[in-house]
Parts: sequence; C-alpha cells; structure tokens
Amino acid sequence: MLSLTLQALFSGVLAGGYYAMVAVGLALVFGTMRIINLAHGELVLLAAYVAYAAESQYGLNPVMAIPFALVIVGASAALVYALLSRIDQDREINSLILTFGLGIILTNAVLMIWAADIHSTTAPWFQESVVVADTLFAMRSEVVFFVGGLVLMAGVHGWLNHSWQGRAVRALSSNRNAAKLMGVNPRRTEILSFLVAALLATFAGIAIYTGKTIFPSLGHVMTVKAFIITVLAGMGSIPGVLIGAVMIGCIESLTVTYVSASLQELAGMILFLVVLFVMPSGLFGGRKAIAR
Amino acid sequence: MKRFLVPAALAAAYVAVPLAFGGNPYVMGLIVAALTIGGIAVAWALLGNLGGMVSFGHAAFFGVGSYTSAVLSMKLGVPPLAGLLLGGLGAAVASIATMPALRLKGPYFALAILAYAHIFQILATEMTGVTGGAGGLLSIPRFPTLLGVDLGSKTGGYIIILTIVVLSAAAYAAIRRSAWGLALKAMHDTEIATRVIGVPSTHLKAAMLALSAFITGVVGAFNAHFINFLEPDYAFSGTWTVLPIAAAIFGGYRTVWGPVIGALTIYLLDQLVFKELMPHGHQFVLGMLLVGMILFSPGGLAPILGRRLEGRVRHAHA
Repeated sequence: MLSLTLQALFSGVLAGGYYAMVAVGLALVFGTMRIINLAHGELVLLAAYVAYAAESQYGLNPVMAIPFALVIVGASAALVYALLSRIDQDREINSLILTFGLGIILTNAVLMIWAADIHSTTAPWFQESVVVADTLFAMRSEVVFFVGGLVLMAGVHGWLNHSWQGRAVRALSSNRNAAKLMGVNPRRTEILSFLVAALLATFAGIAIYTGKTIFPSLGHVMTVKAFIITVLAGMGSIPGVLIGAVMIGCIESLTVTYVSASLQELAGMILFLVVLFVMPSGLFGGRKAIAR
Repeated sequence: MKRFLVPAALAAAYVAVPLAFGGNPYVMGLIVAALTIGGIAVAWALLGNLGGMVSFGHAAFFGVGSYTSAVLSMKLGVPPLAGLLLGGLGAAVASIATMPALRLKGPYFALAILAYAHIFQILATEMTGVTGGAGGLLSIPRFPTLLGVDLGSKTGGYIIILTIVVLSAAAYAAIRRSAWGLALKAMHDTEIATRVIGVPSTHLKAAMLALSAFITGVVGAFNAHFINFLEPDYAFSGTWTVLPIAAAIFGGYRTVWGPVIGALTIYLLDQLVFKELMPHGHQFVLGMLLVGMILFSPGGLAPILGRRLEGRVRHAHA
C-alpha cells in the first residue's frame, strides 16, 4: 500500500516536471500581454509531432529533432503573436476567440497530416526502466526530461531575475507604462516572452513524445491543464508554478492508482474549481504575474 | 422595408422550406441540424453580447438538457414536448451550480465553464443507473403526431426547432430593447460605473447565464428526441461548443439573427463542402473562419451585409 502510494507520488512528480514547462510558458505570455494563449498547448503538440515525423520518416532520434521542433514551434508562436497584436477592439473577448481558433487550426492540421492515431517513440533507450532508491520505477525518458526540465526552468528563472531582457519581461508585467518610460520596448519584450514560452513548449512536447503517448486532442488537454496549474499557483513565480504542477501530477496519478483512470481529468478540474472559488489568487497568494 | 422583412422571412421559413425540401429527408435533416447549432449559437451570443461573457462550455447545458428530457420521458413517461421545457429547466438549474463562476472574468470564466462541462460529462458516464453510462440511451421517445402533423418526422422536427430558434431570438431581441438590455450594454462599457448607479450587475449576469442555459437545454432536449439516441461523449461533445461559437462569430454575435444565419451557412458548408474535401480535420476551416473573422471583421458578417444593404437603400432614395 505504502509502496504503491510512493510509486504514484513519484510518477506524479515526474509528470509535474513537464506540466510545469507548459504552464510557465502560458504564465509568461500572460504576464507580458495579459492574454491567455489558448493555442499554447497546441504548440506543445506541434513539437511532439515534429519529433514523431523526424523519427518515423528520417529515423532521427527525438533529441536530435529538438532544433527542428524549436524552429517550427518558434515560428508558430511568432505567428500567434503577430495575429494577436492586430486585435484593437474588445481585446479580452477577441483574443480568447482568436487563440481558441488558432488552437483548432493547429489540432486539425495535425489531424489532417498525421491522422488520429496514438504515437510514441520507437527508440528503446527512452523507454527502458530506471529504478530509483531500489523501489521506485520510471521510464528513462521521464527522468531525463524531468531533470532537463528543471535545469531549463532554472535557466529561465535566472534569466528573468538577472538579465536585462528578463527584467524587462518582469517590468512589463508589473507596470506596462512605467516599463515603457524606463526604455523597455514592449513589442520586442512580448515577442521574447512568446519565444521563451515556445522553447519550454518544445521541450515539453519532446518529453511527452518520448515518455507518454501523443494524439491530436492532446494540445487542448495541455492548454487546460496549464491553465489549471497557473490558477492553482497564482501565476506568481516559477517555483510556485512548479509546485502547482507537481501537485496536479500527484493528484492525477493518485486518482489513477486508487480510483479509476477515467477520473484522472476530473480530479484536476474539481481542484481547479475549488481553488478558483475559495482562493481566487491561488494557493501561494498575490495577484502577481509570473515574472515579478 | 425592414418591417416586412421579418414576417416575410418567417413565412418563407415555415411554409416555403417544408414545401421545397420536405420530400428530401437528407436535406431536411441537414437543415434541422443546422438550426440546432443555430439555437445554441443564439444562446451563446446572448451570454456573450449581453452578459459580456465568453463560454467554452455550452456543451454542458446542451448535455444536461438532453439527458434531463430523455431520462424523464423514458423513466417517468413525460411527453417529449413537455420534456423540452423540463430539459431547459434542468439546464437552468445546472447553471445555478456554475454561478459562482460569475465573479470570474474573461478566460477564468470561460475555462471554469469548460471544467463544468467535463465534470457533467464524467458524471453522466459514471451515473450508469440513471443515464445508462457510456453505453448510452437507446430509443428515446419521439415527438407525437399533433393536429395531423407528425412531429417525429424530419419536417415535424424542423417545425419544432424552427419555433425554438424563433422564440429564443425573439426573447433575445426583447431583452436587448428592454431596460435590462440597456443596463447590460452600459455594463459592457464600464461595469463599475454601472454598479455605482445602482444596477445589480451580478443578478443581471446570473439571469443571462440562466436564460442562455435554458435555451441551450431546450435545444439539447429537442435533439435527444429528434435523433432518439444519447451517449455522454456525444451529448457533451466539444462540437456543441465549437460550432455555435464559430456560427455566432461568423454571423455576428452582437446581432440577433447573425448567429442563426451564421449557423445555417457554416453548418451546411461544413457538411456539404468541407467534409467532402477533407474527411479528417474539416474543423480546420472553422478555426480559419474564427481567426479570419476576428482579424478582419470582429462584428461578424451581418454588419457588413447590413452596411451594404443600407448603402444601397440610401442610394436608391438619393
């Protein structure tokens, strides 16, 4: 019983690693633009399918596909930004519907090109089991990308706190006008936040492709999950989002272990509603955007 | 001229369409399905335009409405026509559960409603005793024959859904013209100022949410009795959210008839053209349509056509 619980928690923590990568990207863009990019999960999906195409057609290792995925996902993110910045009236409603539409386009493009089948990597190296502390099992890819994701997010955290551009992102999200007066170019900073979000989305996509399975509606699922995590964590900081992501991962894997796999999504949804109604500013307080 | 437009259109819809297509069940079925989407689109637009709220979860109300009516008619023998109203009431009651979400704004509200849709779907799947679970409900009672008209036929179904859509649009138009409508419009411009002069904005929003859910529930109940079959994945499918949004945005969600016209155009195009051209992923076109409309004409098609029509009339007078 105990070992089963521990195993569930361990798997949940590992899943939380890539959930966090997706959620941090969503929160970064929200910080600079005050827009929830509902096509964000679809960027993750795109990266995963680029890796799938590279592996199935050219025999490329998924890790070697990262540069290609970065270019494609980065270009898509830039396109999303370009379209979003054209909205001038009713920004809140219109940006929601626009990114919702972009998500539908990306999902269905994937569906048209690669059909609705479920895929995962065929490289055995990623799927070999790794034993941690004698009792906890994981796939190698889960461990590799969990550690890689932590390093990447630590890098983004450091960039936000110590580089000029990173500070510009934080300045823009805390006070747009003051940031402009201090010489921050809002457009360039917004694009930058989109590109960093794309970078994180790409790694998350490859992580999912090598450690889980991919299918076209995954993008929508990831968007909703990332949104739930940011609500949970209050968009406050990268460590906060990471904790929120790990919590969601653990709750899901405990639900799968002890209740039923079909209720996995329900647990996250109910937690989302409870937090939203009881603590609208998130578990870790503060109505701050991530990059402050 | 405008005074005659609505009665003329209604006469055409009630008389000419059944006469022209009544013999062709396939076409009639398509038109009924398009109007089903149109009914949800009106409800969605009512919430979006008057309440200022985007919902990504109208499938929740559609599903609750269809299950309420189907279960009541199968277990308790409630006649299907009464089931329509009860389905609407069921959805309105379900909307009370979603009302805490009203204090949320923008994306938070939109995704909270989406979460409700997921929760309702899972509940419908798990409550096997009442809903039949994932296996679904088979042979849901069809509409009766009334005054010699077989309402269970395609043409009969058409008359029912047309009436639902017309009444919903009329209710929408009436609210828009009323003092409520004015208050809601002011709220859209600045909510704080509107509250300061004593408009109970939360109550108004709650009323719009309940009405929108009611209409969607009635449409859902209609659909259940029309196709005589339900299963959770179908009743709560995201399609019931995506198509109405695309229809409302395409037709113009700030107008009364825009969503209906949008639904007819989009659904028929989707089924007759796009589905033929691309069997997989034909919703791609819906996404393109949404993006294109938001970028180039966020007010929808109706204002463009209206402006052109007005221009022509003015030219004729000059």
